[in-house]
Amino acid sequence: MTSMRLQRMPLAPPRVAFALRVLSVVLAILTAALVLWGSGHNPLALGAKVISSTFGSSFGLEDLSLLFSPLIYCGLSVAVALRIGAWNIGAEGQFNFGALCATGVALFVSGPVWVILPLMGVAGMIGGALWILVPTLARAYADVSELITTLLMNFVAMLLVYWLATGPWLDPSGMALATTSRLPVSVPAFWGIVHWGLPIAILIAIALSLFVTYTRWGYEVRIAGANPGAARYAGMPVRTQLIGIMLLSGALAGLGGMMEVAGTVGRLQGGISNNYGYIGIMVAVLARAAPIGVLATAFFMAVLLNGGIVLQSQGLTTHTVLAVTGLILLYAAIGDEAAHYKILRTKAKDG
Amino acid sequence: MRDSASVQQRLGLTPGTPPILSLKSVSKYFPGVIANESVDLDVYPGEIHALLGENGAGKSTLMNIVTGIYKMDAGELIVDGRRRDFSSPTDAIEAGIGMVHQHFKLVRAFTVAENIHLGWPETPKRISRNSLETRTAQLATDLGLAVNPKAVVADLSTGEQQRVEILRVLARDAKLLILDEPTAVLTPQEARELFTALRAFTARGNAVIFISHKLEEVLEISDRITVLRNGEKVATEWTKDCTEKSLAQLMVGREIVLTETHKKSAIRVKAAPVLSLSDVSLKGEQDTVLKNISFDLYPGEILGIAGVAGNGQRELTYVISGLSQPSSGKIVLDGEDVTRAGARALAQKGIGHIPEDRLHSGMAPTLSITDNAVLREYGAPPLSRKGWFSPRGAANLAREIASIAEVMVPDFNMPARNLSGGNQQRLVARREMRIAERILIAAYPSRGLDVGAINTMMRYFLELRDSGVAVVLISEELEELLSFSDRIAVMFHGEIMGTCPTDKADAETIGLMMGGTRQEDLP
Ligand SMILES: Nc1ncnc2c1ncn2[C@@H]1O[C@H](COP(=O)(O)OP(=O)(O)OP(=O)(O)O)[C@@H](O)[C@H]1O
Ligand SMILES: [Mg+2]
Repeated sequence: MTSMRLQRMPLAPPRVAFALRVLSVVLAILTAALVLWGSGHNPLALGAKVISSTFGSSFGLEDLSLLFSPLIYCGLSVAVALRIGAWNIGAEGQFNFGALCATGVALFVSGPVWVILPLMGVAGMIGGALWILVPTLARAYADVSELITTLLMNFVAMLLVYWLATGPWLDPSGMALATTSRLPVSVPAFWGIVHWGLPIAILIAIALSLFVTYTRWGYEVRIAGANPGAARYAGMPVRTQLIGIMLLSGALAGLGGMMEVAGTVGRLQGGISNNYGYIGIMVAVLARAAPIGVLATAFFMAVLLNGGIVLQSQGLTTHTVLAVTGLILLYAAIGDEAAHYKILRTKAKDG
Repeated sequence: MRDSASVQQRLGLTPGTPPILSLKSVSKYFPGVIANESVDLDVYPGEIHALLGENGAGKSTLMNIVTGIYKMDAGELIVDGRRRDFSSPTDAIEAGIGMVHQHFKLVRAFTVAENIHLGWPETPKRISRNSLETRTAQLATDLGLAVNPKAVVADLSTGEQQRVEILRVLARDAKLLILDEPTAVLTPQEARELFTALRAFTARGNAVIFISHKLEEVLEISDRITVLRNGEKVATEWTKDCTEKSLAQLMVGREIVLTETHKKSAIRVKAAPVLSLSDVSLKGEQDTVLKNISFDLYPGEILGIAGVAGNGQRELTYVISGLSQPSSGKIVLDGEDVTRAGARALAQKGIGHIPEDRLHSGMAPTLSITDNAVLREYGAPPLSRKGWFSPRGAANLAREIASIAEVMVPDFNMPARNLSGGNQQRLVARREMRIAERILIAAYPSRGLDVGAINTMMRYFLELRDSGVAVVLISEELEELLSFSDRIAVMFHGEIMGTCPTDKADAETIGLMMGGTRQEDLP
């Protein structure tokens, strides 16, 4: 007789881990379908609708790309910080503030496009970095957890954007109630409405992943993230690294904000960040903070969000989509743990 | 093999007494490694059973199976006559098996009483601090382990922390206590106290499994000895029939010749010191941990630092390696003021440092073996050029270090924490010796190493010395210091009590200085 047993392995085999990731996604979607079905919808029809309107037309694909791009920026932002062991919960705020700074440049500096656009990019990055500066310094010098501080900064940035867009920077033409006027410059599009923000994001992800493996700094960040004590022992400037990486994290989210305002939306308005910063946390965690992985998980999240928009047009609320993303995260966590187990068949001895 | 009746009789048990723990053909495989292969082991009530073996022989793994941390791939585990299959350490504790790991698992910010009661089903749901402490005090007297229930764990010495760990295990009614290299971090005095407590524990009909690399102490404390080699059991012997030599031979599988360490007096090529400390002091969080330390270190000598652990040795290594900056005083390396140079600069100038606490400061246990092996040389060619890092170069260097360190690594991408304790130490030691062109600071370098590895390492220290490197050897083992160092300095309460050439030193005067007598006040 054979008996079966579970055995926990210290390392999860990558193939099993990947398979379980896929399985967790499928399970989450199945669960959601079940709930939809239970509440009187036809999940198959809804699913078909989502797929056809996302992938069935170039409009759908363009919409998808416009969601994909900010998720990459925010996902990379969170992932980079995770590499050195910091939780940037504030990508949302940095995104907002980056958008705000870029808008400031666009509205108040005049010059040729090829000067203004890069300047806006720089402003966005500086804005994002500024927005994480205080949490960074607090963490680096006073060991204050960045978890809370970055989160709190989000609300400030959000309110700031609302205030500017409805007050001092409100479109003077009187046409819009709660946005600035249309920015005089915009990130050029290369395919339909999809602008260069996307390819740039992909390039940044590739660059970051090369950076992690093939630069000396990447190695140092790996050590400092895994054990700051060992990094200090090897004489690495741990504090400087932490500050550098966290500012980079903020800058990435800020650049995402600039691309959003100057490429996708065209004007600064409240809620421009659309929760990308928070979803970015999920993107980064699912990708295990690997920059190339972020591309995959950001794409996947974009599909979900887009699906959510389609579902909304079918009379479902955004909560459904949020619930599905939550489910995926839950199943993925279970799957990650399960990947460590292997089933053993042992021949039980007679008697 | 002896029939089991005679084992019980020789242990003074009635014939037919079942073993507390019995392992039958236990095997455990990791990817690319056979950690245990068909191991049989019987442990009877009342015995102290020692488990010996070279680094990586599979001792810790076997005990992790017994305590439910790992699951075996094949075999049987029988506790008190019942076949068991633990799925977690909690199961093992319920069955009366407790383990004290080499790295303590206490909550440092909690008091002793709180640590004892933490996660214990028998702790009442609501209880006042006072009654927690009374219960702890009661347990301590019942079990014969003196602890102060009110003390905060972080303030305790290593020996006291270990006693708390043991009390924690015994309080949960353990009948079998497993200790993984318990004396590696203890002072000789603390080790003696531990042995007394263990004897009292087994006298009550309980059993102990004791893992150690110190043959002398194994011969002193144990009743029987089981030796593992490459994951297989090679023998279980009565301690009375063993000698250090026979045990060493069983462990290695062939006669080992411990190279006689010919102590040629150090060649003083240069009369100028390589390193001079003058009036170096270091303030800690509360008090001064180093007080006016002054000494010269010469190329081609081994300077032994004696002293009870915790008397400033660690701080001294930190100051010399640049991990801490002295609050006052001056450090000069080959004529250059390096007081504030920092760890990186000093490593580049050829100062290697085998740290006291390899897991927390010398390694990143969750990262790959490759990443850990190249920690000292990642920044220079061939590993790095103009800021670019070569993973292939790193892999090559890691292979090279592992092979001279004699560590078998199935997969260099595996996290370093999967290496056996001794193999981690071997890797760190080799990595540091490679960069030590001028000075090697070795803090308790033989901790966790098996006899053969200690011998190899010491031989290498001597070679380094003969090639003109200065070695600072910090050790608690007087014998090690007396046989390898050229001079011995003694530390007490952050000060150097005195320094003398080894041939003029004797255990007694060093002992006096370790207790706080200054050299000039010696009788
Ligand atoms: N989690 C793990 N994953 C992979 N290999 C492991 C793991 N744990 C232990 N090993 C391997 O199993 C072997 C036995 O290790 P173990 O820790 O039991 O040795 P040990 O006898 O305790 O040695 P030491 O005296 O150095 O502590 C080693 O080769 C080690 O690398
Ligand atoms: Mg071990």
